[in-house]
Amino acid sequence: MRTNYRVNAGVRFEVFSRDQLEELFNGVLHVMDKIGLDVHHEEARNILADAGAHVEDKRVRIPTHLVKRALATAPRSFTIYARDGNPAHDIQIGPGRAHFGPGPTPPNFIDVETLERRPYVRDDARIVATVVDALPNIDFCESLGTISDVPTDLAAAYEFATMFPRTTKPIVAWSFGWDDSNDIHQIAITEAGGQEAFERRPNYIHYCEPLSPLVSTFEAVDKVIFAARHAVPVIFTTCALAGGTAPVTPAGIIIQTTAESFMGLVLSQIIRPGLPFFTGGVLSVMDMSAMILSYGAPELSLMMAGVTELAHYCGLPLWQTGGCTDSKCLDEQASLEGSLSVFFSALSGGDLCHDVGYTESGMTGSILQTVMMDDAIGYSRRITRGIEVTPDTLAVDVIRDVGPDGHYLYHDHTMQHFKTEFWYPNLCDRHNYEEWAAEGKQTMRARVIDRTREILATHNPSPVRPETAEAITAIMAAAENRVKNKP
Amino acid sequence: MSQTLEQITTGVIEGNIQGIRQLIQKALEEGLKAEEILQNGLIVGMNEVGKRFKVAQMFIPEVLRAAKTMHAGQELLHPLVTDARAVRVGTIVIGTVQGDMHDIGKNLVGMMCEGAGFEVIDLGFDLSPETFTEAIKVHQPDIVGMSALLTTTMRSMGHTLKAITEAGLREKVKVMVGGAPVDAEFAARIGADGYGHNAVVGAELARKLVEAA
Ligand code: B12
Repeated sequence: MRTNYRVNAGVRFEVFSRDQLEELFNGVLHVMDKIGLDVHHEEARNILADAGAHVEDKRVRIPTHLVKRALATAPRSFTIYARDGNPAHDIQIGPGRAHFGPGPTPPNFIDVETLERRPYVRDDARIVATVVDALPNIDFCESLGTISDVPTDLAAAYEFATMFPRTTKPIVAWSFGWDDSNDIHQIAITEAGGQEAFERRPNYIHYCEPLSPLVSTFEAVDKVIFAARHAVPVIFTTCALAGGTAPVTPAGIIIQTTAESFMGLVLSQIIRPGLPFFTGGVLSVMDMSAMILSYGAPELSLMMAGVTELAHYCGLPLWQTGGCTDSKCLDEQASLEGSLSVFFSALSGGDLCHDVGYTESGMTGSILQTVMMDDAIGYSRRITRGIEVTPDTLAVDVIRDVGPDGHYLYHDHTMQHFKTEFWYPNLCDRHNYEEWAAEGKQTMRARVIDRTREILATHNPSPVRPETAEAITAIMAAAENRVKNKP
Repeated sequence: MSQTLEQITTGVIEGNIQGIRQLIQKALEEGLKAEEILQNGLIVGMNEVGKRFKVAQMFIPEVLRAAKTMHAGQELLHPLVTDARAVRVGTIVIGTVQGDMHDIGKNLVGMMCEGAGFEVIDLGFDLSPETFTEAIKVHQPDIVGMSALLTTTMRSMGHTLKAITEAGLREKVKVMVGGAPVDAEFAARIGADGYGHNAVVGAELARKLVEAA
């Protein structure tokens, strides 16, 4: 019999010790209680004040007991459901589970046919959703663009209306404010079978962005209130630049951005205790020479791993970042930066890793990058799954059985394990030279482009219910009227 | 060249905000003219900073500190010069347009312009067209700078330009625009006088715009 025997079910990786996490957490509590944040939303300030926060003009200071109460009610584990009931597309949030998906709202897109950068249009949302639906290692959907060929105020609503019928993977939605949040919500609950059914099986997540340093803007807060009142799982994530809008040191930026996210946490948990909440965000450096927020910097991955550990220490899921690059095209740089950040994100077990497919510092979305990263995620997941140690996998008996000079090629043990122990890439080529040459010496870049086009030509996502299709038409027609009549 | 002037040049390059005032005082006591201190001390330093930044020998925080140092020196010299324009190249009013809260890029442009010898009035972010027109009336700037980081707020730049024209102020100011999604074509389309794709180019553009005026 064994005692005190420990098992590692995956590869272990840690940035901080428990003592360090405690110090970071105390830093967050200090910022919230002693420095406070500006909340540009009167109703939110009133809600917070009634719950015991100190409000002075716009400045809101949250006492520690309020933060701890919010942490106690916000769940660590929950499920976001595929809209069509396909359990393979459900997302189970919980310890040791990293999920991946594209990112929101760049202005430009790499055209899948011409391969040129151009403004993002509505049909690109169809393309992204269809490809996401087909990729085995992409778990949730975002659009990789801001639709430019619809009335500006309806860009977010049209995006959701276009993507929702094309993928059953949960969508992470963004919006401008209350009205388009509601358009999106109406579409989602129609498919779910009403508000109550949605509350039992939420099928999308809402995304809001406060402002660094230390400001909860009206729009961001208003959307959190919308989400809380309608039981929509919500992400409240900053996008801070170390050395620009946040301290230059990783520990400092982690404290500041966590405090910024926690304002949303506290507010959401006061309105609806138990609402699934993701803390954020995008933590990276301002390149002090190129003057951009870098999406390909190693510090991004390192700081994201650190903030993930802090979130998990606090018992919250985290909105991770990876699979992105500062490169302008699908090249070696894009592959290097994207793959390493995907791997780091997988190791940290951050719960929803977004921006898979961001290029050019977030200015251009590329579904080709997402398709390439699908292989990098598969690769990473094989590593993070780790090495199982059991009498069977130790294989001492098998080694005895085969002995010197033997082979394992069709041994029972090999037959039993080779399909699950080995991971096979979809895109990386492992053929020998002759075979590769015979197939036309294709590069990775060419295979990525071919696969993307092939998915678009062949993949048919499971459709929405007929009443949802009708609802989408009606909701968007009403939305068009609303913006037309706007002064 | 005077040793003190060399120290002033080095002071700017090193971003010695505290020391620069003393150095300038010393130079004045040595009998140097304000114009000389400016041209052969401060500006020489700032030009060197610009050169070093371009070849990645200096980085943004260092450049901004140098700009602040330069500015502190100018403030001291301003009352002493005969031609005020020698010290203050011009005045810029800058801000991020309505609906937009991205301000880091705009801050950088403002600080770089300060380093280039401008008096910069930073209005902040999410600014209505009226805020811009009012600020033009109050501060009488040579240049108005607008920043937008969202394709959805780029239209506010057009609205602001229209408001400036309608208020009868368009002839009085040059307008420059920037921000990640903005490009030269868009700037031309809305009738701006110039576009800069980064803060360094922005400051160079500002100088060109006042020189052309
Ligand atoms: C940081 C950031 C934020 C922060 C801003 C914090 C702050 N205090 O500024 C926060 C989190 C608040 C934020 C919010 C949002 N953001 Co934002 N954000 C960014 C990000 C990642 C970096 C911007 C930045 O600071 N860059 C670094 C600075 C130094 O560069 P810069 O601003 O471009 O400025 C340089 C030049 O452009 C130029 N310049 C700038 N202004 C001027 C002016 C003049 C006169 C001149 C000459 C030159 C010039 O010089 C500067 C220095 O070289 C960009 C991505 C990107 N690559 O730009 C997205 C980005 C701009 N954001 C975007 C979006 C969509 C949003 C939100 C709508 C998100 C949401 N759904 O809630 C909100 C909108 C809030 C609002 N109403 O403004 C999109 C825009 C897409 C589009 N279609 O336009 C981007 C491209 C990211 C993305 N892919 O989604 N964001």
